[in-house]
Amino acid sequence: MNAYLEGLRGLQPEIVMTITALAALVFDLLLKGRESRRVGYLTLAGLAFTAWFLLGQWGDSAPRTVFGMVAIDQFGNFFKLFTVAALAMVVLFVMHDQREREHGVGEYYFLLLGAAIGVFFMVSTNNLLLMVLGFELLSLASYSLAGFHKGDRKSAEAAMKYVIFGGLATGIMLYGMSLLYGLTGTIDLAKMGVEGGGLVTQLAKSPVPVGIAMVLILAGFAYKVSVAPFHFWTPDVYEGAPTPVTTFLAVASKAAGFGVMLRFLGAIFLRPGVADSVAAYGERIGLLLAILAAITMTLGNFAALRQTSLKRMLAYSSIAHAGYVLIGVACMTEQGFGAALYYLAAYYFMNLGAFGFLLYFEGVNGNDSVESLKGMGFKAPLISCVMVAFLVSLTGLPPTVGFYGKYLLFVEGVNQGLYWLVVVAALNSVVSLFYYLRVAKALFLAKPAEREAAPAPVLTGFVTALGVATVALGIYVLPLVAWAQRSLDVLRG
Amino acid sequence: MNVPSEHLFFLSAGLFSLGVLGFLVRRNVIVTLMCVELMLNAANLAFLAASRMHSTPEALDVQGPVFSIFVITVAAAEAAVGLALVIALYRLKQSVESDSASEMKG
Repeated sequence: MNAYLEGLRGLQPEIVMTITALAALVFDLLLKGRESRRVGYLTLAGLAFTAWFLLGQWGDSAPRTVFGMVAIDQFGNFFKLFTVAALAMVVLFVMHDQREREHGVGEYYFLLLGAAIGVFFMVSTNNLLLMVLGFELLSLASYSLAGFHKGDRKSAEAAMKYVIFGGLATGIMLYGMSLLYGLTGTIDLAKMGVEGGGLVTQLAKSPVPVGIAMVLILAGFAYKVSVAPFHFWTPDVYEGAPTPVTTFLAVASKAAGFGVMLRFLGAIFLRPGVADSVAAYGERIGLLLAILAAITMTLGNFAALRQTSLKRMLAYSSIAHAGYVLIGVACMTEQGFGAALYYLAAYYFMNLGAFGFLLYFEGVNGNDSVESLKGMGFKAPLISCVMVAFLVSLTGLPPTVGFYGKYLLFVEGVNQGLYWLVVVAALNSVVSLFYYLRVAKALFLAKPAEREAAPAPVLTGFVTALGVATVALGIYVLPLVAWAQRSLDVLRG
Repeated sequence: MNVPSEHLFFLSAGLFSLGVLGFLVRRNVIVTLMCVELMLNAANLAFLAASRMHSTPEALDVQGPVFSIFVITVAAAEAAVGLALVIALYRLKQSVESDSASEMKG
């Protein structure tokens, strides 16, 4: 009985999230669609509670598993806090979206919270079954969110593409998992690669089936983080989905995908006590990921060059950034994973900020083309100046958080002998400069626009806070680095 | 009659390949969703075959059957969401061909 209560205590954040989601749904029904903003406040309160419980768990350091499945550790905690912070920002975006008013938005919050609960479970388990269930909860909620504007042709099309390709990815991933289970005889990742585990015997017999299973499973994860060749849904879905949903997909959902990928690879290949043959095999997987990283970032950056829509450009830029993060994963070392975590944290600030800027100007201009931003920098100077900081950070120039993130990734890439990959990534950063600066140029290097920009003080305030954090954390890097390093306790056993 | 577990794996691999092939070839969105279901069921079969392989007469390996029950549930949920979205698209375009969903390009 005591062990049961102890287990429930470990699940406090998840329980609070679930209660909040249900409360948001019921509250919206009671309000009958009017004043859905109040549901937003309820959601924010629930998120604050969840964050409080998560911060409480931050202190107790020993990783443990409750109910035989849910792993409570700093690694999961990193991604849970990340998700809560991203979701809070997305909820604020929904509440301040000029174009969201005419739709009933109550279910929005329920679906967002449901997706976040999925993230919570998928990043904090070593069990394939729970991983799949969390993954699917996130996916199903995301499909519905992408199609939230039912009457909008683009939104409906985006949702359909998302669900079709998502279904394909799920099918491929599940088949890979069934093979992995067949080969190792267990669905617990922690038991596979250790001495005497099923993976060791299988690798001694023949590595080919293991390779097939690994590639199929990684394909499912690659889809979630939009790594080539599973990226083709990204631009269409990001463009068609409502902007707050796009923000959620680009930040929280992508980070969760990386979380589950790092957890999967870390639990099988990098945990202490892993057999030598398994560790050696992990390095071959790393090489495969390195090749994918190079393809992904090149493809994303070159496609972004010729975009006229800011939203679509950010979609391609998010593909490119998935490629950068993948450098850290491909290193298959603790430092590499740490660099990937740091980069994801950096990505949170700069990408959320860029999407906040996009949301504001969609409200002002009524469309998302870069052309319509011409000269608007003089009409809304604060948010535009902050946007320049985000763009500099996304390019990876000092003194921003994005620069230090790239620096960590490149250093670890060089340490692991992936020189060619680091060169490709550096060249890619130069390419990305062109399209990021095109936005800055449109804002400030044109005649001041005739139109006025309606002020949105709250949204501007939050975006400015993100901008300050982007620069401040780029100068004072230690807190984020320490957090990322702490979160790798899973690899230390 | 005793079917070796390997044969079940070959059957599931065949089903999975058919699903992928159908997904790539067919243009009708509903058929595409059916192909996804086929792939999920191939995974189920493989889970059950693997469980059979790892079971002994004394001890049944329950991980596979449990996993496949959950996959069936997930497949149902996915079909529900997928078909709902197809209906939403059909209302706007009067077509369920995937070629009709090509407003966004680039």
